[in-house]
Amino acid sequence: MATTAHPEPATQQGQPSYHDVTRDIAATLGNPGRGYFILMAFVLTVLAAGIIALLVQIRYGLGEAGYEPPVMWGVYITSFVFWVGIAHSGTLISAILYLFRSAWRTAVYRTAEAMTVFAVMTAGLFPLIHIGRIWYFYWLIPYPNQRGLWVNFKSPLLWDVFAVSTYFTVSATFLFVGLVPDIAAVRDHVTGWRKKLYRITGLGWRGTDQQWRHFGKAYLYLAALATPLVLSVHSVVSWDFAMSIVPGWHETIFAPYFVAGAIYSGVAMVVTLLVPMRKAFKLERYIRLEHFDNLAKLMLLTGMIVGYSYVVEWFMAWYSGNAVERASAFYRQFGSYWWGAWTMNICNCLLPLFLWFKKVRNSIPALFVLSLFVNLGMWMERFIIIVSSLAHEYEPYWMHHYTPSWVDWTILAGSFAWFFMWFLLFAKNFPTVSIVEVKEIIPFPRKERARA
Amino acid sequence: MSDGMNRRKFLKVLGVTGGGAAALAGCSTDHVEKLIPYLVPVEDQIPGIATYYASTCRECAAGCGVHVKVREGRAIKLEGNPDNPINQGRLCTRAQTALQGTYNPDRMQGPMAKGADGTFKPISWDDAIAKVATALDGVSGDKVWFLTGNERGSFAELVDEWLRALGSSHHVTWEAFSYEAARYANRALFGLDALPTYAMDQAKYVLSFGADFLETWHSPIEYAREFTASHAFQNGKMGRFVHVEPRMSLTGMNADEWLPAAAGSEGAVALAMANVIMGEKLSATPADARRFEDALKEYTPEAAAARSGLDADTIRRVAREFAAGPSVALPGGVGTQHPDAHATAAAVMVLNYVAGNIGKTVVFGAGATPAGGSAYTDLVNLVEAMNAGRVQVLFVHGANPVFAAPQALKVADALGKVKFKVSFARFMDETAADCDLILPDHDPYEQWNDFEPRDGVHLLQQPVMQPVFTTRQTGDVLIDVAREVGGTLQKQFAPASPDAATYKDYLQGRWKTIQRTVGNHDPFDTFWRNALKQGGVWSTPRAQPVRLVSGAAQVLATAPWAPPKGKLTLIAYPSSTVYDGRGANRPWLQEMPDPVTKMTWGSWVEIHPETAEHLGIAEGDIVDITSEIGTVRVQVYVYPGLRPDVVAMPTGQGHTAYGRYAKDRGANVFALLDAKATVFGGVSHYAAVTLEGTGDHVRLAKAEGGTRQLDRGIAQAITLAAATKGDYRAWEAQEAAPIPERVKAQQESWQEHVDRGKDYGPYKLETTRWGMSIDLSKCTGCSACVTACFAENNLPVVGPDLVRQHRQMHWMRIERYFEGGGDKPLEARFVPMLCQQCGNAPCEPVCPVFAAYHTPDGLNGQVYNRCVGTRYCSNNCPYKVRYFNWFDYSKKGDPYFAWPEPMNWLLNPDVTVRGKGVMEKCTFCIQRIRGAQHEAKLKGVPLKDGDILTACQQTCPTEAIVFGNLTDPGSRVSLLSEQRRGYKVLEGLNTKPAVTYLEKVRNVVEA
Repeated sequence: MATTAHPEPATQQGQPSYHDVTRDIAATLGNPGRGYFILMAFVLTVLAAGIIALLVQIRYGLGEAGYEPPVMWGVYITSFVFWVGIAHSGTLISAILYLFRSAWRTAVYRTAEAMTVFAVMTAGLFPLIHIGRIWYFYWLIPYPNQRGLWVNFKSPLLWDVFAVSTYFTVSATFLFVGLVPDIAAVRDHVTGWRKKLYRITGLGWRGTDQQWRHFGKAYLYLAALATPLVLSVHSVVSWDFAMSIVPGWHETIFAPYFVAGAIYSGVAMVVTLLVPMRKAFKLERYIRLEHFDNLAKLMLLTGMIVGYSYVVEWFMAWYSGNAVERASAFYRQFGSYWWGAWTMNICNCLLPLFLWFKKVRNSIPALFVLSLFVNLGMWMERFIIIVSSLAHEYEPYWMHHYTPSWVDWTILAGSFAWFFMWFLLFAKNFPTVSIVEVKEIIPFPRKERARA
Repeated sequence: MSDGMNRRKFLKVLGVTGGGAAALAGCSTDHVEKLIPYLVPVEDQIPGIATYYASTCRECAAGCGVHVKVREGRAIKLEGNPDNPINQGRLCTRAQTALQGTYNPDRMQGPMAKGADGTFKPISWDDAIAKVATALDGVSGDKVWFLTGNERGSFAELVDEWLRALGSSHHVTWEAFSYEAARYANRALFGLDALPTYAMDQAKYVLSFGADFLETWHSPIEYAREFTASHAFQNGKMGRFVHVEPRMSLTGMNADEWLPAAAGSEGAVALAMANVIMGEKLSATPADARRFEDALKEYTPEAAAARSGLDADTIRRVAREFAAGPSVALPGGVGTQHPDAHATAAAVMVLNYVAGNIGKTVVFGAGATPAGGSAYTDLVNLVEAMNAGRVQVLFVHGANPVFAAPQALKVADALGKVKFKVSFARFMDETAADCDLILPDHDPYEQWNDFEPRDGVHLLQQPVMQPVFTTRQTGDVLIDVAREVGGTLQKQFAPASPDAATYKDYLQGRWKTIQRTVGNHDPFDTFWRNALKQGGVWSTPRAQPVRLVSGAAQVLATAPWAPPKGKLTLIAYPSSTVYDGRGANRPWLQEMPDPVTKMTWGSWVEIHPETAEHLGIAEGDIVDITSEIGTVRVQVYVYPGLRPDVVAMPTGQGHTAYGRYAKDRGANVFALLDAKATVFGGVSHYAAVTLEGTGDHVRLAKAEGGTRQLDRGIAQAITLAAATKGDYRAWEAQEAAPIPERVKAQQESWQEHVDRGKDYGPYKLETTRWGMSIDLSKCTGCSACVTACFAENNLPVVGPDLVRQHRQMHWMRIERYFEGGGDKPLEARFVPMLCQQCGNAPCEPVCPVFAAYHTPDGLNGQVYNRCVGTRYCSNNCPYKVRYFNWFDYSKKGDPYFAWPEPMNWLLNPDVTVRGKGVMEKCTFCIQRIRGAQHEAKLKGVPLKDGDILTACQQTCPTEAIVFGNLTDPGSRVSLLSEQRRGYKVLEGLNTKPAVTYLEKVRNVVEA
């Protein structure tokens, strides 16, 4: 792309040629192997289990989940926040880093962006799974009706509806627009039904100068449009909590804290996805160690912000002098959910400290393991914020301990399956590394003419 | 509920009361028997308008009057009858659930006979009566026995006369809790086989020796009212209440001072107090009390202290306070249930005598007979007779000895030796299951009857609706049997015109006599109608002076209760919900948290934390309790309000029959008790036991979370001394941290802002704002309001599994918090917690669909239809008074269906039955508010303060709850809310609740 800065000069040797790029990346779209089908079968099985659990829950009632008043929100809202959070790094990498002209993003942004869309698709399911009468979900949407019913714009939950739907629309558009030249590139290489697919989704891209100019502008504006969403969506999500009067939720730090956490968990998820994909698709030439190094640095930065936020929370609980707030903070660390709190403290604050070492940042296995821990820790963070705060509110007579049931866990597993199903489908049908942008950062060819 | 009610049924029910229903809002007096189709509408039956009938509650022997609310031909709710002298319009927990007996799905639906294979098969009434007649044929009258529960009135007389006509005199009356010890003591002291009434409202000092007068003892509603009259903080004054009992019962929790005397040592403590009073000449002691001097000599406070584990100085102090009077000492409850309880009861009466209370606060002659003069020995005699083959035909009515008598008596085995047993049970209880023929009686609200809870009080019951099943009134059955048998029986009961004689005729015949005794000269018809409307007739009986009989002191010689070394004392106390087991088939009673332990569904053993630690037992462990008699397996509840050497277990659970709600739940503590009658002719409810863990563990189905209020000022209390000084809001002082100056300035500016807001909009308080005041110095924690709310608002029961997950749907809950403990005296406080109808409600703005909204009259409304179930409102409610429908409790076939036919008849048609996935909550009985408003509008009169009673307020035995308009400066609720004792729970959150709690005042002795 024209607007992307040139990378530092690299030696001609080892650099793929334009042709290599198209060939290597298009190769990822080849016929899936047995591994792919086994994986897909597994994912679909888990998804089916999740759907069955959901159907059971819809048939008999939300009581099938482990809810125990006063803990009225549990695994579902935890997972909602988790998935929305995951989504954030995608937009960060693709939009913000784009605007900041970070060349290293080209190798990873497509994966991150796809992840964003699928994560939002997953996240969007949870508020529905979570409500008592899923069949009336559309009442949350302000639509004109005879009964004169309207929605309550004061409710943070309604803000959520808008935040998430906007986010989905923008990130999906962004992903799709970025895909167009690549689709066109592979369109010219495939046969069969996919040819038809790409012909339609390629939107008649022919690579003319005019098209490129329009594309460049569109991409830039979309990036600009998506950028504020990185900050706003998760801020809105955090207000679900911060706007309430629940001790442990009612905190002004929540918006930045949640945004940092979101990017943190999202980057971890990007690493989790990239490592096996890079191996399976043999993309080591394109997704290189320096990319991981950068991702690791981003993780380190956001992880430190998250850790700082934890400390601020403890400090504010003490400094506020509010006994209820203090009790809630104490309960969070040492109450009946101590295991969760310490899982999150260790996974989110302690383990990422290893990323200070370049050795760790440059070790793919270490990064992969760390990213798994961060994923776990960040899920746990949301769980602990939501559940332990609710379990220890104002009324001591009504303080109870919530344990998720098999339905909660199955639906959570199903959500991962749902996410991976889309991702697997995407990875085999669309280029997971941007052909166009990778080519842009390759030094100008001297001897060989670019093809495609 | 579409399956439960179809059009045909609806119309049928609509027509049921068509026959009579004289007055719209008054009480109909006519017999309702015929079904009239609604082709021609009945003029005085307006669909949607309730009719009220006066009747009498028969749940216990107190004799409370009720008004049965009947809608479209079905009784749907009981309210207290304000005319009744005993309850004066208030009802208890158990009474509020009585209709679950009427509509119990496990009720006997018609007569049943046991076949050769031992199973019951339905038969027709004619066949059933013929069967009885055949069985009686040729049997010597002497071998016919009749066992009833406490019946005092026409039915008991009918049974007596009926037996007499057969040539039998074997009418045995038996109740599981029968006050034998107190009666024995009164016989020994005063030569009177009677129980006095205690004028608790006259006494400024109440000293109870185990009498649980707020739970089951005598007449709990009456005593709760009288107790509050003297003990609640009013005009800067209040009485004092000291409770002596090894276990802190609900009554003990209401005491200003709880003295945990060793089990069985209460008598010694009472005598030591009498000794102090006599020795120090503190009272106007009657002259003949000197006879006790010798007997009292050995009961020095020190001796009593050694025996009871109390402090000698405390005993002296209490004795002096008691003597200062006016005072009353109460013997009873758990304190008079051990083998030597007659001596305890006598000791307490002696204390009353010495303090000069007899005739003043302890009045004989008023004739309270809470157990109808029954005695356990009579049951023992019956069992002996059965075992000896002296019983050929046995009739059982209103008693379940197979369950509620000590299991060691082996009533079931004895029944096996009786040739023909007839039960009139309404439910398949353990005794009915052992009988040959079951002739189910009508429910109390389907029948004609009367009841005399005490001399001079005659209460009537009338059928308020068509019977639910093909049951028949036992009185009528007996008369039919007489007709079938012929001979003397027929002559007496079914004279000339064979169709005329019914039990109602018999009843009216007897009421003609009653009319004469009360000196009424109206035509009988007028008298009868008025009596029915009023619920009965009553007069104040004359007090009877009593004198000590010679040798009265002998009864005081006591053999103290002492379990063998290494054993604990088990106290089997009557459950305040399921009582002796008769309430166990009421799901509401099962699910209502026990007022003391907050346990639901099942039984438990209470163990002191130290004892539990010593035995290595934790809460929820399953233990085997072994006495000399037997073993029961039960879950452990760790309770600090208990002496460490005592364990306690409620009665009433562990049924092996009695329907789906009762069967196989908990353990029957009667299996541990000795069947041998005590000296005083009762059962010892104490046993020496050992506990052994089984290694099993369960999660208890208890309603509470934390037991301590964590200094959050939820249940506030001050001492009387502080209250007299005007030093209210003692809790605030605990908020030690001083407010910094800059914060103060901010607070002031905020307050200014708020005050400015008062000039416009909803803050102006021009319109109605509904509010409530709850006086914690009156609230006894009895939980009657909880069940009243169940009945009024169609609250489903969710069952023990869901209670374990705290998904119970109790819009009104009584929170019980402990204070003190350890070195300090343990103190319990109650807070009835319901929706606070916040003026600035956190629940409302968070609802995305406006299901939670603010009504113009200040309620936090909830539109069930609009709710999508995000549950954010509940998260944001600091009081946690919003309840979610996790399952469909109203859908037939769903696993937690709560209204099996015909229980659904109980539903209040004015209140929505909520479906799954919806949040629900208290709205101050909005249906009653709107109902009263409509009525006032129709009449064209303004709504007066007191026109609207919420269900909880209506039933509250102590009038702790007052509801009304807060913007009316003259309303009761406004005046109460402005009292200086008033506080709002969690006021610091600026939720502006409409519920004001009045701090509890405790009349404690300052150290």
